[in-house]
Amino acid sequence: MKKLKIGFYGITGCAGCQLSVIFEEDELLDIINLIEIQAWPFIKELNYDKKFDYIFMEGLVADNEDKGILLKLRANTRFMVALGACAHTGCIPAYRHFTLKENYAHLLYEKKENIKDIDPNPIDSFVKVDYIIPGCPPDKNEIRSFIKDIVRDIIPKPYNNPVCVECKRNNNSCLLDNKKPCLGPITRGGCNSVCTNNGLECWGCRGPTQQGHKMQS
Amino acid sequence: MNLVVYILKKDVMYDFLLDIKNKFETYVPIKKDITRFKILDNPKDIDFSENSYFPVKEHFFRKKEVIFQFNGSNFLPVELKSKNKIFFGLRRCDLNAIKNQDFIFMKQHNDPYYTSQRKKAVLIGYHCTKALNKYCFCESMNLTDYYDLMLFDKTNYFLVDAKTEKGENLIRKYKKYFKKSNYKISDKDTYIKTRKINKKDISKFYDHKDWDKGINLCLSCSACTEMCPTCYCHEIHDNTEINNPRNAKRIRSWSSCQLKEFTSVAENHTFRDTKEARFKHRIYHQLQYFKERNKINLCTGCGRCITGCPTKIDWVKIINEMR
Repeated sequence: MKKLKIGFYGITGCAGCQLSVIFEEDELLDIINLIEIQAWPFIKELNYDKKFDYIFMEGLVADNEDKGILLKLRANTRFMVALGACAHTGCIPAYRHFTLKENYAHLLYEKKENIKDIDPNPIDSFVKVDYIIPGCPPDKNEIRSFIKDIVRDIIPKPYNNPVCVECKRNNNSCLLDNKKPCLGPITRGGCNSVCTNNGLECWGCRGPTQQGHKMQS
Repeated sequence: MNLVVYILKKDVMYDFLLDIKNKFETYVPIKKDITRFKILDNPKDIDFSENSYFPVKEHFFRKKEVIFQFNGSNFLPVELKSKNKIFFGLRRCDLNAIKNQDFIFMKQHNDPYYTSQRKKAVLIGYHCTKALNKYCFCESMNLTDYYDLMLFDKTNYFLVDAKTEKGENLIRKYKKYFKKSNYKISDKDTYIKTRKINKKDISKFYDHKDWDKGINLCLSCSACTEMCPTCYCHEIHDNTEINNPRNAKRIRSWSSCQLKEFTSVAENHTFRDTKEARFKHRIYHQLQYFKERNKINLCTGCGRCITGCPTKIDWVKIINEMR
């Protein structure tokens, strides 16, 4: 069987999502046996010009350089996978949409010119994204089962159940009852409710569930 | 079954629990941030002031269970391990919920995984003296007596009623803690005053507009079914090994009718695609469909689906207000 040609790339982001692939310690060697990692700038070469089957893209587009890399890679790959919350929803860097530039720009960005040229946006606002692996950082089991599926020609199924499912299964008390603003009921789970297990509110890193909510006005 | 009622003094109860703790895995309600059934450590921790937030369903109908393994050519059955467990302080609603689950997993279907866990468990009830919270409604759910032992709280002592052989044996084994009494348990002891559902049959209200009050607030988060002591929906999936796909485990895990995934089939078709259909389905299954088929109420009126709901949808109130 021909091995799938896979690339792991990162644009603006903390590289934590690529790390959570490496954190797959116990089964990392098994995974590497199944696929051909053609490029991984993090640990291997760049290889921007090769052809790929799957590209796992971490991070979001925050400047024109990112955009250029993203468009180039999209042209070279059959499938594009958004790895992690930044690529999927924009996550923390995209908070810039909700703040006034005047308030912070002079503090940090006065010398870095290229930061001003584009608003930070998740990768699906520039290119077609075929699959998402959500989470900040993504769950390593989810990455593993995703790779397991694509290697065997199974269409990977995203986990769409809300965080409440796992939170209740972990026998946590409800944070909403304690008057904490938890986004668990409307957020996609699959994280084993790691935040709420430790008494922190869910802040929605995995994006909204696909359960068909309507916004209440 | 038998008419002998025993007396267990409250201070003796602590000694009794310490004693059974050595032989059984004893679960008692312990209040921290919420009340949960936990393994007994110090008997003074026991708190009967409220019902446990989560039911004890997970001990019998496991959240995740390997049904069998497969190694490419052979089935490898799993070993059914279970411990001797005692559940101390179950409420009447939860005991009836166990009765309903026994009916589903042991009478309707012979489920070896459930049976192996359930067979060894001893259920000791604690009878409510009043409604535990403003949401429970067990009075209208026709609950029956289903327990091994039941404690009736009489301020400084308990009346203990044994219903089964298992319970009787436990008392015989630890008879130094119990005294015989001539008291007869009457309807007055077993009556709990709660709010009620004022409709016996809700089949003709399916299209009533009042359901919207609940549907608009519902987030389809499935907290209600996760906390329900009677919900028994589950999904089964295969988990293959990464380097050898012929080695697989078949796993049964909880699922919920509130999730879209539950009714989605090939070609991405979902039978209960709308929130409305899912919301009504749970209530109708609990109150209507199950009763029509099996002549018993599935719901036992514990009210957990309302206490656990993020938006506190009081569907009992919605039904009661329908005209």
